[in-house]
Amino acid sequence: MIQFENATRTYGNKVAVSDLSLTIPSGELFALLGPNGAGKTTTIKMLVGLLRPSRGVIRVCGHDLITETRSAHLHLGYVPDEPYLYDKLTGHEFLRFIADMYRIPRDLSQERIKREIDRFELHEFADELAENYSLGMRQRLVFAAAFLHDPDVLVLDEPMVGLDPRSVRIVKDLLKAKTADGMTVFMSTHTLAMAEEMADRMGIMVQGNLKFLGTVSELREQVDMETRSLENLYLEITSSETGEDEVASDDT
Amino acid sequence: MQNQLLDIPQENQLTRRLRGTIAWNLVTTIFQQSRFRFGLVLVLSTIFWAAVFCLFYDAFNFIDSMHAEVMSLLFNTFFSALMVMMIFSTGILMYGGLYRSGESSFLLTCPLRAEAIHAHKFTEALWFSSWGFILLGSPMLIAYGIVRDAPWSFFIMLIPFIVTFVIIPASIGSILCMLLVAGLPRLRLHTLSISLALVAMGILWFSWSTFGSVQSQALTPAWFEETLSRLAMTEQIFLPSWWLSSGLLDAALRGESRELTHKSTLEALKFLGLILANALFLSLVASWVARWTYRKGYSNLQAEVPTRRHRKIFWLDELLSRTGSQVGNPIRLLLVKDLQIFRRDVSQWSQFVIFFGLLALYFYNLRSFNYSHVYASLIGHLNLAVVGLILSTFTTRFVFPSISLEGRRFWILGLLPIHRDQIVWSKFLFSFVGGLIPCLGLILLSDSMLGLPWGAVFVHLTCCLALCGGLSGIAVGMGASMPNFRESSPAKIAAGFGGTLSLVLSAMFIILIVITVGFTNHFNLLQQTIGQLSGNTTSRLLGSYGGQVASLLIIIAGGLLATFLPLVLGIRAFRQLEP
Repeated sequence: MIQFENATRTYGNKVAVSDLSLTIPSGELFALLGPNGAGKTTTIKMLVGLLRPSRGVIRVCGHDLITETRSAHLHLGYVPDEPYLYDKLTGHEFLRFIADMYRIPRDLSQERIKREIDRFELHEFADELAENYSLGMRQRLVFAAAFLHDPDVLVLDEPMVGLDPRSVRIVKDLLKAKTADGMTVFMSTHTLAMAEEMADRMGIMVQGNLKFLGTVSELREQVDMETRSLENLYLEITSSETGEDEVASDDT
Repeated sequence: MQNQLLDIPQENQLTRRLRGTIAWNLVTTIFQQSRFRFGLVLVLSTIFWAAVFCLFYDAFNFIDSMHAEVMSLLFNTFFSALMVMMIFSTGILMYGGLYRSGESSFLLTCPLRAEAIHAHKFTEALWFSSWGFILLGSPMLIAYGIVRDAPWSFFIMLIPFIVTFVIIPASIGSILCMLLVAGLPRLRLHTLSISLALVAMGILWFSWSTFGSVQSQALTPAWFEETLSRLAMTEQIFLPSWWLSSGLLDAALRGESRELTHKSTLEALKFLGLILANALFLSLVASWVARWTYRKGYSNLQAEVPTRRHRKIFWLDELLSRTGSQVGNPIRLLLVKDLQIFRRDVSQWSQFVIFFGLLALYFYNLRSFNYSHVYASLIGHLNLAVVGLILSTFTTRFVFPSISLEGRRFWILGLLPIHRDQIVWSKFLFSFVGGLIPCLGLILLSDSMLGLPWGAVFVHLTCCLALCGGLSGIAVGMGASMPNFRESSPAKIAAGFGGTLSLVLSAMFIILIVITVGFTNHFNLLQQTIGQLSGNTTSRLLGSYGGQVASLLIIIAGGLLATFLPLVLGIRAFRQLEP
């Protein structure tokens, strides 16, 4: 479970995220949408502990990210938009490193590494150095690493960039299965079709404020438009200067 | 099964294993893929080590026989200077490693303690900032031990002395870096600039007060006396450099009896204990500082508002763009583009400014010394070689990869109505003109401070012209012949086979030019000073007017060959390239 309680982050005088209050329960896939500079990356960075909120609290599975950072991270899996891999480690060695970091017993970790290599079809290159990987190969390895310790909360930043259609399908099916098992997924994306297909709920962020929070059907109800494609609804919300009154701004 | 947090030893073991695996894979890759480079580095390092050893062996023999009492002073000066440099170098490395690297962003999202991440990056920074000390310090200390006929325990104690000592300045650098970022994120650039300026001023003041204002003639016994008395300020009992110097001197002492030798070895061990205790204490403090400030400091730094400056057209770009015909000349436009990129890339021009600035500072201070003509001529040639060597590192590091880096933008360049040759020529012109202006200035400064005659200055300037052309030609030509379009990091491109070969060829070219001019010019000066050379006919011929003209012709021919041969080969290869 993820909880944002009045989380605010400022950059100098600029408010990047303003008073964000949001709870994402277990088993929900939440998609965060918004134009460039809306505050999505700041929100994700706060959620994974790279950025501290100027005000407010963020909790992961009940652990405060500031005071119980490591306990919170124990429950987190993170796939960034620009994944980091050690160029001089093979895929297999990288997965071993991750398994050791979460103190997974050796026999169990071998089983899980094999599971992720099978799942993301890494066999062909798992024993090659990561410096030789293509973008798609890197992304698949990072997904494998993120799922290796069976996290309770998965944070994804533009997760499908660089993946081929087959890998996209694998990830989508996996996310559906995992959320059904109780995993919480927080995903930031620009791909509206992906959000529409996958998300249980979505939030649309504009200039640091959550302009909409709810399901796609709730969005269609709230915005009075003839053509009710998600694209049109999204554009209406993000371009509207006076849209604040029309949409909810928190999840309460 | 529920995941579990690692305890401190397990975290350290994990990061140690990570570094070990990376190092092993790195060595294996280098050995498998870059044997030439690996072998070359090994051979050159060995030659360098041996040369430094011989130099110190002779120097210590000389000092031991004439000025044995100055050894402590020299060690103190050397180690205290090293300590200051290591504080800064580790601080800068830690800043890059802890706050600006992709690895730190990744590790901060993992369930690791801040102290463990710090310890991991600290170990890396410690190695990077101290390998120079090991390369330079080990031959020096071994030579000292041999000259002093030190007991075997001295050689055994060298490694623990060096290892424990480097931890002290490295920890101080790391602590300062973390405190600076956590406490003064907004002011860090200003603070860093002011600190660097203060240190530069301190070095200037120290150099001036030590060497510059000495009244006696250079390199005389009186000059030595005065200089050494001024260096005595480095002998402070509270400085770790003093503990190291004293410990090493005690360890190297062989007493008249076995008991006396044991006694001085025990004294050395006490100093080693003192250094070890302080190293451990400071690394503990660094760990505490990391625990309390690292994550907060990282977050503060992330939250800084990036400076968004509206880039105006610079007068030089405007001038270059308007020069010549109204229709844009592709080479000129490419030059303007490269100039804009160079100006906005701080990592490039700052290194350029630092190295050439330090050289200018050194050349400017040459006037403080009172040299004989022969010494001045010799120093003038060595300065020419230094300018060439520094220029060659720049051409290899920045110019050689420039063609490879264009590969990433080939889709733009490929669609433009320009010939590929023009890309290569523009790179050459950029490097040639960019190198020529500061190099000519430096040579002029050096020669005027040394008071060399105009004939010698003319020869040096001709050499400088040949060096700039040749080094640019080698770097651009080799870069076009052996491009690496897969790599985006210029450092990695320069470190590859092509870059290494380019550096070796550049060094050989510099040696050829400097030796050619050095012999003839030097003998000519001797002939003028002494009137007649007592040497053989060859010396007289080399020193004659005809010898001078011949050497100039060789330099010009060599310069033209080094400029155009690699360029022609490079252009030919670049034309046939399919990116």
